[in-house]
Amino acid sequence: MRTILAIALFISSLSGFGQSGTIRGIVLDSESGETIIGAAVNCATCGSGNTATDLDGNFSLKATPGAHVIEISYFTFQTMRLTGVQVKANEVTVLGELALKPEDNLKLDEVLIVAEVQRNNEIALLTLKKKSTAMVDGISAARISQIGDGTAVEAAKRVTGVTVEGGKYVYIRGLGDRYSKTTLNGMDIPGLDPDKNTIQMDIFPTDLISNIVVSKSFTAEQPADFTGGLLNIETKAFPDKKIGSFSISTSYNPAMNLNPNYLTYQGGKLDFLGFDDGTRRLPAGARGSSIPTPIFYPTSEVNSFVQSFNPTLGAMKQMSLLDLSLGYSTGNQWEGKKTTKSGETPKLGYILSLSYKSNYNFYDDVFYGEYQRYIDPASYELRYATKQQGQIGEKSTLLGGILGFAYKTNLKKFRMTLMHLQNGESRAGQFWIDNDAEAVGQSGYLALSNNLEYNQRSLTNILFNGTTVIPEKNVEIDWRIAPTLSLSTDPDIRKTAFTYGTDTFFSAGAGGNPSRIWRYLQEVNVPFRYDITKKYTFLDEPAKLLYGVGNAFKFRHYEILFYDMQFFGGQSWSDDDPNQVLNPANIYPNFPNRIYYQTGNNDPNPNEYSSNSNTASAYVSTEFSLNIRTKATLGLRAEHYIQRYTGRDQAYASGNVANGKNLTNDIVLNSLDLFPSLNVIYSLNESQNLRLSATRTIARPSFKELSFAQIIDPLTNRIFNGSFFEYSAWSGQLVETRINNADLRWEKFWERGQMFSLSGFFKDFNNPIEMVRIAEQQTSTEFQPRNVGRGTMFGAELEWNASFAALNQKLENLFFNGNVTLIDSRITMSDVEFNSRKSYERTGQTITNTRAMAGQSPYVLNGGFSYTAPESQTNFGVYYNVKGPTLQIVGLGLFPDVYSEPFHSLNFSFSTKLGKEKGIGLKLRASNLLNDDVLSVYKSYQAADQIYSRYLPGWGLSGGLTFQL
Amino acid sequence: MRIFYQMAAVATMAAFTLTSCDPTTTPVDPNPGDNTTKIITENITANETWYADTTYQLGGRITVTAGATLTIEPGTVIKGEAGTGANATALLIARGGKLMAVGTPSMPIIFTTVADEISHEQLMTGDFKGPNLDPNVSGLWGGVIILGNAVISASNSAGDVSEVQIEGIPTSDQNGLYGGSDNSDNSGHLAYVSIRHGGTNIGAGNEINGLTLGGVGSGTTIENIEIVSNQDDGIEWFGGMVNVTNAISWNAGDDAFDTDQAWGGTLDNFVVITPSDHCFELDGPEGSYSASHTIKNGNVQASSADQTSHDLINTDANTPVSLEHIYITDIMPGQIINRVDAPGVFFTDIVLNVDTVQNYIKGGVTVPGITAGTTPKANTSVFSWTWAAQSGTIK
Repeated sequence: MRTILAIALFISSLSGFGQSGTIRGIVLDSESGETIIGAAVNCATCGSGNTATDLDGNFSLKATPGAHVIEISYFTFQTMRLTGVQVKANEVTVLGELALKPEDNLKLDEVLIVAEVQRNNEIALLTLKKKSTAMVDGISAARISQIGDGTAVEAAKRVTGVTVEGGKYVYIRGLGDRYSKTTLNGMDIPGLDPDKNTIQMDIFPTDLISNIVVSKSFTAEQPADFTGGLLNIETKAFPDKKIGSFSISTSYNPAMNLNPNYLTYQGGKLDFLGFDDGTRRLPAGARGSSIPTPIFYPTSEVNSFVQSFNPTLGAMKQMSLLDLSLGYSTGNQWEGKKTTKSGETPKLGYILSLSYKSNYNFYDDVFYGEYQRYIDPASYELRYATKQQGQIGEKSTLLGGILGFAYKTNLKKFRMTLMHLQNGESRAGQFWIDNDAEAVGQSGYLALSNNLEYNQRSLTNILFNGTTVIPEKNVEIDWRIAPTLSLSTDPDIRKTAFTYGTDTFFSAGAGGNPSRIWRYLQEVNVPFRYDITKKYTFLDEPAKLLYGVGNAFKFRHYEILFYDMQFFGGQSWSDDDPNQVLNPANIYPNFPNRIYYQTGNNDPNPNEYSSNSNTASAYVSTEFSLNIRTKATLGLRAEHYIQRYTGRDQAYASGNVANGKNLTNDIVLNSLDLFPSLNVIYSLNESQNLRLSATRTIARPSFKELSFAQIIDPLTNRIFNGSFFEYSAWSGQLVETRINNADLRWEKFWERGQMFSLSGFFKDFNNPIEMVRIAEQQTSTEFQPRNVGRGTMFGAELEWNASFAALNQKLENLFFNGNVTLIDSRITMSDVEFNSRKSYERTGQTITNTRAMAGQSPYVLNGGFSYTAPESQTNFGVYYNVKGPTLQIVGLGLFPDVYSEPFHSLNFSFSTKLGKEKGIGLKLRASNLLNDDVLSVYKSYQAADQIYSRYLPGWGLSGGLTFQL
Repeated sequence: MRIFYQMAAVATMAAFTLTSCDPTTTPVDPNPGDNTTKIITENITANETWYADTTYQLGGRITVTAGATLTIEPGTVIKGEAGTGANATALLIARGGKLMAVGTPSMPIIFTTVADEISHEQLMTGDFKGPNLDPNVSGLWGGVIILGNAVISASNSAGDVSEVQIEGIPTSDQNGLYGGSDNSDNSGHLAYVSIRHGGTNIGAGNEINGLTLGGVGSGTTIENIEIVSNQDDGIEWFGGMVNVTNAISWNAGDDAFDTDQAWGGTLDNFVVITPSDHCFELDGPEGSYSASHTIKNGNVQASSADQTSHDLINTDANTPVSLEHIYITDIMPGQIINRVDAPGVFFTDIVLNVDTVQNYIKGGVTVPGITAGTTPKANTSVFSWTWAAQSGTIK
């Protein structure tokens, strides 16, 4: 209420400053990179008097047009005098980051004079990287705009140790999604894909990003559930000056765009906006455990029920268009009148971003394989059970909007950011399926499958954030709450596979009867945190105490509904066009096919669950200097985590109350953990540091993993099983993974961001969770997440960013950035796994009881050259990225391990500014220049690798223009 | 027929039935008069008897767990509710459990779908034909699955995979595990049992057979069995040593008889009528353990006006089977014996009702044990109690 009143007063106090301009800047401590609050900013000639920096270190001064001199001073720092600051009428002169040097005893009165102001030179992040006790890395708005990256995902790729998968999701240090985490404005936000820990990053326009910071070591104020890295995106609250841009871009991939063979299917009228218009809605009456079937229901009712299903079952060819991406963003800040009482100038900032993207993917030669070993230990090669080959066409539509308001006075800030993302993905595939009867558990058939899928996702998030600084107590208080609603629906996933033999028909024992699936997911997250930072002095050096509390509540409801087509009697098909199958002449009671649907859904449904979790946390952490060279952060975080589950197994769902399992908001995980962290930085000299960190973190199973859900992927027929199901080798009790981390690093810095570092790290995983093939099931391919013993990891990391200036001064703007991470990970297998592997030991093979950890690449390599011409704002770069072969699925017994193979990604980018005012940005990119494929293979001793999955993303070109408005 | 059924139902209400049953084959119903429909939703964990005057409706996948025996009276009708996937209904006899379902030629036991209007009263009239569903209607419920502790060939000798999950039951149900080391294991006694209209699936290639026998031991007796219109195989054996005598597989949606994992028993005296896929789908061991099975004394009708089967006999390179005294008729061009050179497959007195026998053998070769002729081999008189016989379908 007070805030609203303040904003109202503020707006009424907005007043014209006639022809004057504005000077804005941010004042930092050059030693720590931190902003300075309350620094005096004086301008004798400006005509508007003096001001002081606010709680963000920002200042804003009105000034008459012309050249001015500005003096910035703060207690214990050298005064900075800026000369020749040019101000134009009605324009904002942005001075960027201004770093004050601490007072030196010998030069007490010296004033640093800066004649020419450098713009946006990334002091904060570079200093942060250099001086922070925790191992952090990042990229700032300044750097992003210099390079010309359009979205957060492109920018994040430039951060050491970050790899991007699927063009959307980031992974840190080659560790899988389970061990990486992404936050937005410091808050846990579920992604559009709620089963991932990471946010889809390609929806954040870089205009609105203040910075992206990656933490590789844990500190107590962060959530403890990350191990590889935590990536935080901070959005802007108060743009330095009015920004406004419109961007349009397109891309062309010869395999995917303008391809007449592209596959799609008849969807709804609103597909282009990322919504289903009801075309794929669940038919009325389909939800119950009893649906109209012959005999029990009147014939007309069965007939009309079947007719209420969408009759499209087949994919069709249609020329794909070019990808299109449109973006609009704007933002500004206004200043109110200086209040006479406190001398403060209130500010109101806003940001708005709207984006639309439509992308086409067409994979012409997709392959899925299920392979087995032979029983005979001297037969090394693998044989197939099922080979599936075909095409997939995918169209993704994304609508996104971000709206933010922020209000601040010198010592108080309040902001609110509202975000909505809407995404629709339509997919059509056609596959030949070849099943080999001779393989174990297989019946042998040939089928042609048509797969139609639609996935609709949305995410709505609102962030409220308040910050207050109490200078007299050296305290900053920050609170945040960020509720999110995520919805993900897969309406009407259709699979229709004719089996080809002497006749063409649907065979339940072969290609299967046509089926349809609806999946619904709703998730609500409410994270809240309250943090206090207090500055104090320890051993005559500045020190900080951080403490706070937080709570994160999550709720998810998930449900799968499944329907199977049946034929009341025989079948006879005159043609094999799937779109003719639901022709009224084939629907019950019409002879000979007499189609009706059977429901796969009990009441209650075993494939429906509600889960919730609550994490209550508290922490205390202190950052202090032991001596002039050694700074340390010592912290302790406590998290009390409770996860509850409501759901039941199949036995219970089919009425077996005595033997079945039924959970009603029962606790399935409950733990109170302490997470100590120690981070030490020892400065060898001004440009070299040694770092050490020792921390404990955690990785918790997801809602989906702690469930009775059985989720079939209709494309591949592979089935995910929740961990609650018990086997002889598995107790059904999935627990968290507790991880001890230790890092050691030496680093050297040069000017302009050049640096070299060497690190070593060690991680000890207690009860890591991996996807394990269920050996007992030999007919279908099924997996389950399980705890698998104990894992350890040793890693070495080298990072090198250098300018070519050393070779030739003319090449000073040509940079090399590279990093390489080598990792040796090891799991000590359970006896069950060891015996299972031993039983399929090949002649000459020696199976030991250790192997690599699933999801962990043995190496990650990133490297690139970039050139920046500052005057023309022209940049180009070549970047290469690869991740080593990674164990994807743990095979058991008959089934070999699955590894994802390295994807050699080579990309080129070019950007420049056009126009008189350089108001038009041009961007060109070429991706996957090596035309590599995305490949996972089965690997077995002395056997040729066989494909588990393969698709070809193809090479592509994209180009875009951004107009400054 | 429908009118008759309704009359019978009215008669049932009047509870006149018990006295007309043969007292020597009918145990005493502890709840006389409880002659309605009983919906079964709980697993059977203690000995239990199902009585002929009650129709038992399977409300889910009902398991007879280890140590328990389910006894079913002659003349009892068991009906599975409709459903697919997780919702599929079936009767599962887990390892260590027993099914005593011993009918008589005059009073068989019927497993069918709730859509089937057949009743105990109809059986009492001696009419065992399906009253309202055609004999090609399948997939309306699951099937009967018997699992035992006999040896299966699903792993190598050192392997720990001496037990695996049975086809048709989701991996999540541990009662679906079968296999062990007790070849003389006894899972009970089935006689004069007709299983109809089943075979619903739980996923592509993972459906329920009419009668599934996984690791069933030789102590089990299975005789006089009829499978009608099952969406998957008629009878499928997964290892084990059980023998089956007098069996009919009619209109199987997949194979009529299917053997896997080195079944070591004998199928003696049988009739196969027009499966959609192979008449015999005979696979080899999947582990290093091997045992050979014998299939003998049978008649096969490989086509009808509505349906032509796929292979006459389909074996793998490593199949161990002795096929003896089998007559195959109604053969259409293109129907073949897929392999005659497998070292473990022996043909003795296989008679094809064709002119030129090598046209129906892969590779066009001749084999001493396979000849042209017209002499049936099965003793079909024992099948007089079946729907197939009563409808005149057995030639």
